[in-house]
Amino acid sequence: MFSHMFSTSVWTWIAAFLTLAIFSFLYKDNPFYRFAEHLFVGVSAGYWVIIYWYNNMVPNLINPLINFGHSWPHVSHVWLDGLVIIPGLLGLLFFSMFTKKHSYLILLPLAIILGMENGLSVPTYLQAEVLKQAQGTLQGIHTPFIAGQTFFLINGLIILIGVIATLSYFFFSREHKGVLGVSSKVGIWFIMLGFGASFGYTVMARLSLLVGRVQFLLTDWIHLIK
Amino acid sequence: MDRRIPLAIVLVLGITMMLQFFIPSRASETFFTDIFVRWGLIIYIFALIPSVGSLIRHHWRKLGARKEGWAYSIVTLIGLFGMALIGFLDREHVLARFKASGLFRTVFLNIQVPMQASMFGILAFYMASASYRAFRARTLEATLLLIAAFIVMFGVIPFGAYVWDKIPFISEWLLEVPNMAAKRGIRFGVGLGIAATSLKIILGIERSWMGGGGKA
Amino acid sequence: MNWIQALFKIDRRILFLLIAVVVILPLVKPLGLPTAVTIHAQNLFDAVDRIPPRTKPVLLSMDYSPSVMPELQPMSLAIIRHCLARRIPIIIMTLDPTGAGLAEDAIRKAAPEYPELKEGVDYVFAGYKVGGYLAMISIGQSFQATFPSDAAGHASKDVPILANIKNYDDIGLIVCIAGSAIVENWIVFAVTRYHATLGAGITAVSSADYYPFLQTGQLCGMLAGMKGGAEYEQLLANNNLSHAPKRASQGMDAISSAHILIIIFIFLGNIGYFLGRRKKA
Repeated sequence: MFSHMFSTSVWTWIAAFLTLAIFSFLYKDNPFYRFAEHLFVGVSAGYWVIIYWYNNMVPNLINPLINFGHSWPHVSHVWLDGLVIIPGLLGLLFFSMFTKKHSYLILLPLAIILGMENGLSVPTYLQAEVLKQAQGTLQGIHTPFIAGQTFFLINGLIILIGVIATLSYFFFSREHKGVLGVSSKVGIWFIMLGFGASFGYTVMARLSLLVGRVQFLLTDWIHLIK
Repeated sequence: MDRRIPLAIVLVLGITMMLQFFIPSRASETFFTDIFVRWGLIIYIFALIPSVGSLIRHHWRKLGARKEGWAYSIVTLIGLFGMALIGFLDREHVLARFKASGLFRTVFLNIQVPMQASMFGILAFYMASASYRAFRARTLEATLLLIAAFIVMFGVIPFGAYVWDKIPFISEWLLEVPNMAAKRGIRFGVGLGIAATSLKIILGIERSWMGGGGKA
Repeated sequence: MNWIQALFKIDRRILFLLIAVVVILPLVKPLGLPTAVTIHAQNLFDAVDRIPPRTKPVLLSMDYSPSVMPELQPMSLAIIRHCLARRIPIIIMTLDPTGAGLAEDAIRKAAPEYPELKEGVDYVFAGYKVGGYLAMISIGQSFQATFPSDAAGHASKDVPILANIKNYDDIGLIVCIAGSAIVENWIVFAVTRYHATLGAGITAVSSADYYPFLQTGQLCGMLAGMKGGAEYEQLLANNNLSHAPKRASQGMDAISSAHILIIIFIFLGNIGYFLGRRKKA
């Protein structure tokens, strides 16, 4: 009877207890919640360490150094494997943040990451988020105009007006008066419609997370749902 | 260390990465991947490790000083070291084919996953409370927001079609036209903002990442 | 205080209880509400379905953590089942550290339903990669260099499904399932730079933000939240590709009734607000 109604796995009971401990915060802060919260922080950090070590440190740094020249099969230049010692040493400089005297050394690896990231970002973000989006806006008018699709043409014009109006709302170098005042007003209406749509989806998102937990409790722990 | 050294590194690397985007030669791409991307991946790994060190340091100090809630710090440290130890000892299973059921995976699925999922699951209750207490149609803009929200909320559920069969169509139109227009305008701003901020960092105008800095 | 006034001053714990009841009841007693499939879910389904069997693989990047698992795990499972049912090779990877455990769990659930398929030939878990955009660029330059081995430690050149993958040109479709802005990174670095084809499964919170990319074709299709997962499950059932339990579809019953309750809450709150304002005036 018991095994028919409830899970017989200890781990499922532990999972259910921790789920209910977190949910107990809805009533008020309590020791069960705080215990679960702190356990979560610790276990997450321990998990991260292992995953980073086996999925990234070992194949990218340890193995190339140990199996010098064998772990980068597409490159015949053995010396490239040995060079990984350089980023390895640079990476170790991150630990200088724990010393007061040498904490400035962290700027070296940070500069490398920032230089790479920002250099890569400029052309790619401009292409993907500015040029391509501008192209899409104009194509949204051009294509239905050529095809004679009135409904889609009207939609395309509304989108063009909305994009310009939204951009004008975020233009703060001039006071929002006159033509700019009108367009920024229209812009805020479009933004509110956009945020309203996002909010509508957000309601579903938050409820989904609760539904997922309830499905676990009522399926895996208490066998109420088939 | 002269502060110009990291600034010079950022400048040289930044311009190199920007130029590399436009150079189609195989040699350039191989050099780019085998040196920079690979090196970046390795340095990135180390960037995240000090966060664990900071966590350990914080809780160790809290424990040593017997600050309020110090007992919970023991829980955190046991969780951290316990999980790491299980992972190191359960080696074959961490690296094993997924058919194996090791203790590391079991602890992850039955301790970390339920808690992390539950922490976000309780947001649904707070959202319900906020919808009752805070979402007011005080102004025209707020009313527009709520109307759009209602239409989308009705549109994603089957009830909406039962109430009025045009609701799913209107909901989809709202997402594809006015919502997209607004989000596209915001994306333009984001794209230009990222490009501008990246250029400022590369050129050394923005130096807040160096700490105690700010602008040039 | 009369009952009308009390209606506008409900204690929040009662609100919590009402939400809990409205979520639990439809799960215990399903309403069986139909799921309407949107064009974007259909487009993603078609993009996967178009890939000929045993040719180019699908690269499924499960870039999310347990915090959004209820929304995204059903999507991932549905896509894995689609690929396995159609004999489309599937390579699973993740750019989120906790995604590794979730990806392995998804494979352990879906793979046994197709016992004739072999790991390493029809499906493989390539593992977790740190670095986000750096990993995306690295795949574009050399997949073998990015994943020198699979998650189980076998050298990629010895794994049939991975051995011939050089870069994005050898991948039929990338599907990124994510709860963060990492989909944007895939668009910026994989689609823009390497002209890869990308579909996405996104949490409902962010999905409205990605419509501009759908219109420009930078995304070939999109699944939004738990509804997106339910839509894909429906498509699999409609096409006789899977008869596994439809977790997301079951959840939509609860979400539907909870939506009605939230709308009632918003109405009540606003009526109370306006009545209160009129009283003050």
